[in-house]
Amino acid sequence: MTAFFRKPTRPRRVNSARNGQNKAQGNQQNTDGLSQSLLLSTDIDINLRHLKSIFHNCSDVIFREFFFAQKEHIKLALIYTDGLTDRTQVSEQIMRALALEVPMATSNEIITKTNALHYIKMRGLCINHVKESQKVEDVVDAVLSGETVLLVDGHDTALINDIRGWEARAIEDSKTETVVRGPRESFVETLRINTSMLRRKIKNPNLKVEMLKLGKATKTDVAVVYIKGIVNEGLVHEVKNRLNKIRIDGILESGYIEELIQDNPYTPFSTINHTDRPDRVAAYLLEGRVAILVDGTPVVLTAPTLFMEAIQTPEDYYEKTQFMTWVRILRILTMFISLTAPSFYIAIVSFHQEMLPTPLLLSIAAQREAVPLPAFAEVLLMEVAFEIIREAGIRLPQPVGQAVSIVAALIVGEAAVQAGLVAASTVIVVALTAMASFTVYYGGSIALRLLRFPLMFLAASLGLFGLISGIIVIVVHMAGLRSFGVPYLAPVAPIVPGDLKDFAVRAPWWAMFRRPRLIGQNDPQREVPGMMPKPPEPGKR
Amino acid sequence: MMQLPEGGKIDGRQAVYLNITMILATAILVIPTIAAGPAKQDAWISVTLATLLGMPIAWLTVKLSSLFPGKTLIEYTVDILGRWPGKIVGLLYIFWFVHICSIMIREFGDFLVGVFMPQTPISVFHITVTIMAAYTIKQGLEVLARVNQIFLPIMLFSIILIFLLAIPEMDLNRLLPVFDSTVVDIFKGSLSPLAWMGEIITFAMIMPFLNKPGEAKRVAFISILVAGLVGTFIVIGALSIFGAGVASMTYSVLNMTRVVNITNFLDRLEPLIMVIWVSTGFIKITIFYYVIVLGSARWLKLSDYRPLVMPVGIILVTLSMAFWNNFLELIHFLAHVFPFYALFIFEAGMPLLLLTIVLIRKRGRK
Repeated sequence: MTAFFRKPTRPRRVNSARNGQNKAQGNQQNTDGLSQSLLLSTDIDINLRHLKSIFHNCSDVIFREFFFAQKEHIKLALIYTDGLTDRTQVSEQIMRALALEVPMATSNEIITKTNALHYIKMRGLCINHVKESQKVEDVVDAVLSGETVLLVDGHDTALINDIRGWEARAIEDSKTETVVRGPRESFVETLRINTSMLRRKIKNPNLKVEMLKLGKATKTDVAVVYIKGIVNEGLVHEVKNRLNKIRIDGILESGYIEELIQDNPYTPFSTINHTDRPDRVAAYLLEGRVAILVDGTPVVLTAPTLFMEAIQTPEDYYEKTQFMTWVRILRILTMFISLTAPSFYIAIVSFHQEMLPTPLLLSIAAQREAVPLPAFAEVLLMEVAFEIIREAGIRLPQPVGQAVSIVAALIVGEAAVQAGLVAASTVIVVALTAMASFTVYYGGSIALRLLRFPLMFLAASLGLFGLISGIIVIVVHMAGLRSFGVPYLAPVAPIVPGDLKDFAVRAPWWAMFRRPRLIGQNDPQREVPGMMPKPPEPGKR
Repeated sequence: MMQLPEGGKIDGRQAVYLNITMILATAILVIPTIAAGPAKQDAWISVTLATLLGMPIAWLTVKLSSLFPGKTLIEYTVDILGRWPGKIVGLLYIFWFVHICSIMIREFGDFLVGVFMPQTPISVFHITVTIMAAYTIKQGLEVLARVNQIFLPIMLFSIILIFLLAIPEMDLNRLLPVFDSTVVDIFKGSLSPLAWMGEIITFAMIMPFLNKPGEAKRVAFISILVAGLVGTFIVIGALSIFGAGVASMTYSVLNMTRVVNITNFLDRLEPLIMVIWVSTGFIKITIFYYVIVLGSARWLKLSDYRPLVMPVGIILVTLSMAFWNNFLELIHFLAHVFPFYALFIFEAGMPLLLLTIVLIRKRGRK
């Protein structure tokens, strides 16, 4: 027992020591000496001096001092970060109101230094969301997150006004997951807008948005979103638990969090899904999953994740079921092609020629006659060339993109074949592989793209047997994966008969009246069964 | 209690799948050949008979294990026979599992060398499959069960596909005359299939890990029934294509795929056979490997079985190379020694003895 407990305590001790050090350093330099105990003083000048020393050299933090429009000089100070605050609101609703207009409304009453704060808050500020705080730490956090802080002389309480406003990207089409039918919006970089998009889809008080801040330096806002009553409470607890364990200087993208909380750290498969489509996230929430939204990125994490999500798109649920079932089957096929086509080709051409029908064999042999390379080197060359083109296509500045694709198509498609460097059949295989890998959802396809290469090595050394062995090992690895306790390969392994309605077949909506069994068991029924539309019986009206 | 990776519980469906793979994996390619040896065109009757005779063995296995809930075969032999005799019987069972597993590895390699890659040393296949099995076992029974849930349907689907595509070549007249062989011959033909069915005794090692132990009986019967049904269909298919001559073929199902030719395009389905053989063979090897490792750990009262995976793997590879000089020896062993050795001692004889002792003791106690 003691041995069991000793292990985790060791890193914890290191952590706390490091935290202590940082705090000590912070106090010395007084840059962010924000120990909990530090409170505001009643003297505004002391407060301002203190805050100015904290925000020393932060040229974007504005200190604006002015007098309250009263006979008695009551000094007020506004502190905000330029660029994160709505400037017109600051000047119109706060400064104008306090410096000029308040006295008219309160002409009968006597405002003195002692009750100024109360009047300002109740009468003076035309702001919809005002908080109070007495801690220096809260003031600093508020200023940095775009809120406007109002200090009043003679009071040790700061008024924190939420009038954030900054330049944000407009809501656009999803760039990574496009659909023909379905909503044309995607998440943006601002967390609030993202949560509002979810709220607009799920108008329900049970949609909970729990906030936490991660990252010692960046203090990134992170929201854990779920629907209470549908989600498994244990799952929410586990997600928050894992998030709270994160001790890091900064979170710049949700990928940081993904790698820090996933179940198996070494797998190339993504056991936490990511998407930038609000409708996809809303659908996941309704199935009983948890979403993790991170400020500063449009990419939202959802968990638990199943492997089969790689072949699902939001559109599957909007378009005709018969057609989408066909597309699902097609995607399963393309997933296999994108993983195994090159290695299968290598195995057949270099080991098992007898398996090809004779005319096909002759034609392939004729093409390969002039090729100086063995099949493996040939395919590897083409695959690497394709990876280069693909990577270049992503990184290159957009105007150049077209030129690249033309050059690439020329080099890879035409010139390589004509130069006798590769056989035309190899080009066909590689091109098919490439196209196939695009039909699978990007997050799911990168693992396949990576694993294609070891499989090619196996096929080149052991033929079809090597290929099958490789696939078996991959399947064993995947069968051992879990995402927040849910087996990664469900509903195929373990077989969950009810959930097969949403795997290769996308059942019509009136038939999918249960949530995924392993995820939404908390409230399994999602619709009333027996809703299959029927024409009214003749005679009955 | 022993530590198991992954919690180590499987559900009834997974157990059925595991049993079916365990019985069919080896049988699938050679069952027509072996049954048709003595029984000729009545081989399908032999296989049906073996299925029926497999039922009592399944019943025996389940009955025995259900008297000792939560315990594996290796443990309750001690409860029944006392410490030393029980331990010795347990050890014999472990040796038997080791033997079957090394036979399986050898068959696995022999098929691949003989049919697909004649120039590759057989040890390559033995080592590869053992490493793969070891990797799976390290992850636990649940993972094995899940992997099997993917490969068994593929295997059954492939078999059905081959069967359907071969229908044009079939002629049911080749099954005639029925009952041409004597009853003794038919019974002889059923011995080997029955020995495969009898491997259901391995289920006694897995039964404690069922999440609903009450399902055990149903699981065992369904497994035997489905395996027997598939086996009978394969035999009927092979017989109606090749007739009694099937007895002289080594891998008759492979030959079944070779006669498939739909419009000169859909032929040479051998890769399908390779997929079936490698994936299900791998799973069968893994099941027995798991049973060996688990049984040894329980026998030695270890808290974790994983340290045993590596040494057992080395033993298995070595034995699979050392037991037989060539494939013919192996076939001879399988046809003439194995049924008696496996069936009458470990699959039926010993369990029957154990059950008798338990029941007598129970009566004595009352």
